[in-house]
Order: sequence, then structure tokens, then C-alpha cells
Amino acid sequence: MNSIELISIIVFFLGLYGLLTNRNIVKTIVFASMMEVGIIMFWLSIGFTEGMVAPIVASMFEVDNYQVYISDPLPQALMITAIVIGISITAIKTIMFITLYRKFKTTDWDIAKIKSKEVSKEAIQKG
Amino acid sequence: MTNQYIENLLFYFVVSPVIIAVILYLSGANRFTRIVALLAQSTLFYFTLQNFLYVSHTNNVISSPVGGYYGFMGIVLVADMLSSMFIMLTAFIFLIATFYSFSANHSPLFWLLKFLWQASLIGIFLSGDFFNIFVLTEIATIVVTVLIMYERKNRNMYDGMIYLVISTIIVNFFVFGVGYLYRMTGTLDISLVSERVRYLYTSDLILPYALIMTFVGLKCALMPMYSWLPKAHGSKGAPSSVSAILSGLHIKSGLYLFLRFSDVFQNGGIDGSQIFLVLGIITALAGVIFAVSQTDIKLMLAYSTIAQVGLILVGLSIGDIDGYNYVGGLFHIANHAIFKACLFLGAGIISHYYHTRESTQIRGVFFEMPAISIAMILALLGIIGTPLFNGSISKYFLMSGTGWDTNIILNIVNLGTIIICIKFSAIFFGKKPNIRKKPLDIMSHGVILLLGVMCFLMGILGIQTINFLFGYSVYVNIAGYTEKAIIFFVSLMAGYVIYKAFLTKEGPAMKWIRTSEMGFRGMCFSMVAFFAFILIAVGFYN
Repeated sequence: MNSIELISIIVFFLGLYGLLTNRNIVKTIVFASMMEVGIIMFWLSIGFTEGMVAPIVASMFEVDNYQVYISDPLPQALMITAIVIGISITAIKTIMFITLYRKFKTTDWDIAKIKSKEVSKEAIQKG
Repeated sequence: MTNQYIENLLFYFVVSPVIIAVILYLSGANRFTRIVALLAQSTLFYFTLQNFLYVSHTNNVISSPVGGYYGFMGIVLVADMLSSMFIMLTAFIFLIATFYSFSANHSPLFWLLKFLWQASLIGIFLSGDFFNIFVLTEIATIVVTVLIMYERKNRNMYDGMIYLVISTIIVNFFVFGVGYLYRMTGTLDISLVSERVRYLYTSDLILPYALIMTFVGLKCALMPMYSWLPKAHGSKGAPSSVSAILSGLHIKSGLYLFLRFSDVFQNGGIDGSQIFLVLGIITALAGVIFAVSQTDIKLMLAYSTIAQVGLILVGLSIGDIDGYNYVGGLFHIANHAIFKACLFLGAGIISHYYHTRESTQIRGVFFEMPAISIAMILALLGIIGTPLFNGSISKYFLMSGTGWDTNIILNIVNLGTIIICIKFSAIFFGKKPNIRKKPLDIMSHGVILLLGVMCFLMGILGIQTINFLFGYSVYVNIAGYTEKAIIFFVSLMAGYVIYKAFLTKEGPAMKWIRTSEMGFRGMCFSMVAFFAFILIAVGFYN
């Protein structure tokens, strides 16, 4: 287990810890992104160990007459996808939070729950 | 028809809904859009049927590498019997939903999202690698989030927000687990991973198993993590066709992934069937208790979905893969899609007509809308497992050969389902309300009737349907089936007595169950608890 991997696991579970201990909606969005960062670091640590070179040009397979290994390009390609998805989802969450804030005037999950119950009670009676 | 033809077809199953979605979005809200949507859905259903017939006839597993990268270099779409059945079911339910919402003049955004949803669901069912499942699940999550808040007038931001945040957090678990698998096997292809895990230590696979199964458990709404489902299914802003697809199909994607991933990990020596048997039983019992205490007709159906998923999971987890329980579980997936779609669509029409969703205020539907009532009663008879209806066949196979303890619990679950349905069916009778008549919409009534009749036909022709859909030849033991029928009628009477004795008035316990609701942190905690439970239980068993 290399150090990047260890850090990534710690970051992942720190994010989870933050989700369990916070009531603030903005903070939970941030902690969810933090879990994602942990995963991205974990994936990037998969294909790489100390002394590897980037999989860019074929001539770099031998450096100073030493045989070197190229790192696995697939995790990096996949993580670009994951980053893009993560950004767009964070954007959607933030926009939805703004709408929720305008309606309920709160940043707290529990208060939002109570207010949404009141709203839905009215909606049920109206149909 | 050749293999090559089907290989090309698989690619278009995923891509063509996306293209049609864009065309519909650009063409605006008019009659043309709806006709094109209907035509597109019909065509898609035709081709999925063709694909299914080919795959089931030749019994080939067709894998189509996207972009022509052979040899596990690129993305693969795989169609075997199971996934072909699932995409056919997807196309069918979406076709029904399109018929249903034909006359409601939805905005182009609705059609865009619906077709994107269909593309991502078909993609999940066909996907042959792990990472694609992640991407498509995220797309489906976003689309569902927008759709459950679709009706601007009474949308509930909180429901959508909870659904989105919880679903995206749980996907992190999945990607983490897949990362572990990738590190150990060096590939993302599901078939290749399931070959390579044979050479790994079982103890190495426990952590990825727990991570991935936590994701699957939330997608199936297993017990501690059920809380997003009633919010999504019963949200005030969700159109009924969306609820029907969510309950009939979307939740089945979780069960499908459960089947696929358990196969993979079974090769590596991890057998979680005992754990999921227990979880399924707990889910079924709790789902029934929650459903009985609801008064909102849509929420009753939503919680009953949780109970039925638990039941399906029990069937899929008992015994070996060729057992009758497994077939019963699979058949119950198809049955549940049919009758839940029928009930949700019918409930949508009723709540629109009566301007309320409170079951206590809706009375006399039978006199107002006889056609819909008959269809919904047929579906209710299916869900409680009345002899000759589809539910009875699947529940008969599901319970066959179980031990006496499991059998008793499953019968209690069925008794609970009966009570839910008796409570639900109170809306059909009673005094006729004084409401101004609205014009009859033939298309939506037609599809609900079709689904109701299908519940009956799939029961009468149950053996043939199982043979057609899953390729298993099974037979019904007349003595066992009669015994089951007797148990059914006894529990029907017991259910009626219990309903009349205890449940006509709401007690404090029921009110507590109805109003208690898990908050955000409760949901996060339940995810962690589920994860820890799977980790410890699998570590203990292996």
C-alpha cells in the first residue's frame, strides 16, 4: 500500500464522517465532493508506482539505458470522466440548494425536512 | 437474422433514444412531438422483442464491442437472456407510459428526460463493464431528480435534493469498490473480472464486495436504506407515469445489478445469499408494516414496492441458481413491473380526478370510473397472489421448497400485502361523490385496462410465460398449488378480520409509523451501518 492510496482512503472516510456529523446542506455538498476526491486519488494510485513514466511517447520506454515501466493509462482516462461527472453533479446540487433556500429560507437538513412536510401536507389537501 | 445484425442493434438500443430525445426537445410541445414519441417507442419495443426472440431462440450470448475494439480493449454491450428480457420490459413499460401521457400536453423537456432515462436504463441492462454502469447510473439519477420535481406547481425541492445527494454519495461507494476490483484484476469487463477473481484470495474480495453491495442495496431500497424510495415515488410533483416507471422498472435495475454482481463475487468464493435472504425478509416485513400505516394512496403503493422487492430478493437468494425459487423471483420481477405500473397509473388518474391523494377522502371510484377500477382490482388480485393470477404463480415458485420458518414469514408478508390491498380497495366502494364529470381519455384508460388484463393472462398462462421469458421449463404441482390456494383464502379472511378489527381507525402506533421519517443524517448513518453489517457478516461467513 503506497502513501497516496492510504491518504485517499483517509480522505474518503473523512468525507463520510463529515456527512454523518453535519446538518448544513452546503457542507454536505462539500463533503460529498471530498469523498469523490478520495476516490479519484485512489484510482490514480492504482496504475502508478515509484519510478514509472507517463504513457505518452514510445521513446521514453527506456530512460538512460534503464528499463522503466509505463504507468497504466486507463485509470487516468476514467477519472477524467469521473471528474466531469462530479463537477456537473455538484453544480446541480448547488443550484437545487439555491432554489430550496429561496423557498424554505434555511441551510439545515432537519429544518428543511419539517418545512417540506408542511408544504406537502397542503399539497395533499389541495390534490 | 444474424449475430452481426443483433450486435449492431445493441448499439442502437442505447444511442437511438438519445437522438430521438434531442429531436423531440427541438420540435417543441405539440401533437407532432407526441406522435413521434409514440412511434419511436413502438419501434424500439419491436426491435427489443426481435432481439429477445433471437437471443432466446439461439441461446447465444451476444457481445458487441462499441467502436470495434475487440478483445476487452473497449466498452462492450452484452445481451444474454436476462438482459434481453430486461430491455424488453423497459421498452414495454416506457411504451405504456408514453401511451398514458399522450394526451397530457407535456413540455419538450419531459420527453427529452424520458428518452434519456430510457437510454440510460437500457445501457445499464446491456452494459458489460463496471465503469459504464457508474456513468449511466449517474445520468439516470440526474434525470429522475428532475422528473420527480417536474410539476412546478407543487414540487418539493427537499425530496429531489435528498434523492440526488443520497444517490450520488452511494455511487462513490460503488466506484471505490470497482477501483479495488480493477487494482486486483486489471480489467473492468464484468465477464473477465468474474474469470479472474477465481485466482484471488477470498479475503481480498470482502471489502469490494461490501462497497459494491451497499450501492446495490440502496438501489433496491433494502431495509435501513429504504428512505429515499417513498420520497421519490410519492413526491407531489412527480407525474404518475414517472412514478410507474420508477416503481416498475427503475428499482429493478438494482435487482438486476444484484444478480450480475453476486455472480461475479460467487466466482471469487463470496456467497452472500444467506445475508441477503435475511435482509430480504426484514425488508419485506418492514415494507408491509410501513405500507399498512399510510393513508396516501401513492405512498401505500410505494411502501408496498419495498415489501415486494424484499420478497423478490428472498426468492433470488434461496437455494441454487437452477432452483424454482430463483425462477419465481425472476417471474415476480416481471409481474411486479406489470401490476405496479397499472396501480400507479390508475392512482394517478384517480388522484387527478378527486383532487386529493388521501385514501380516506376518496370513495366510490367504482361508480365513477368502472373500467379503471376493474383493471386496478385485477392488479390488486395479482399482487396479493389470488389463485389463477400472475402473483400466485410467482409466489408459488418463490415459496416452493423453502424451510418451514421462511415459509411462515413469507405467508405473513403475503397476509400484510392482503391487508394493504384491502385498505387500498376501500377507495373503490362507498358513496358516490359529487364531482363534475371530466372527458374520458381513451388512451390512458386503454393501457391501464391492458395491464390489468395482462395480470390475469400471465397467471393463466404462467408456465408458458416463464418458459418464454426466462427459458426455464417448470411445472406446477397441483397438490402444492391447491394447498397454497387454501392458505391464500384463509389469510384473505384473516386479513379482512384484522383490517376490520384494528385498522379502520388510526391508532397512535400507526400514526407514529406514518409520520416518522428519516432525515438526511439518518440516511447517511443507515448507509454506513449497512456497509459495516455487510463487511462484518461476509467476513464472518468466509
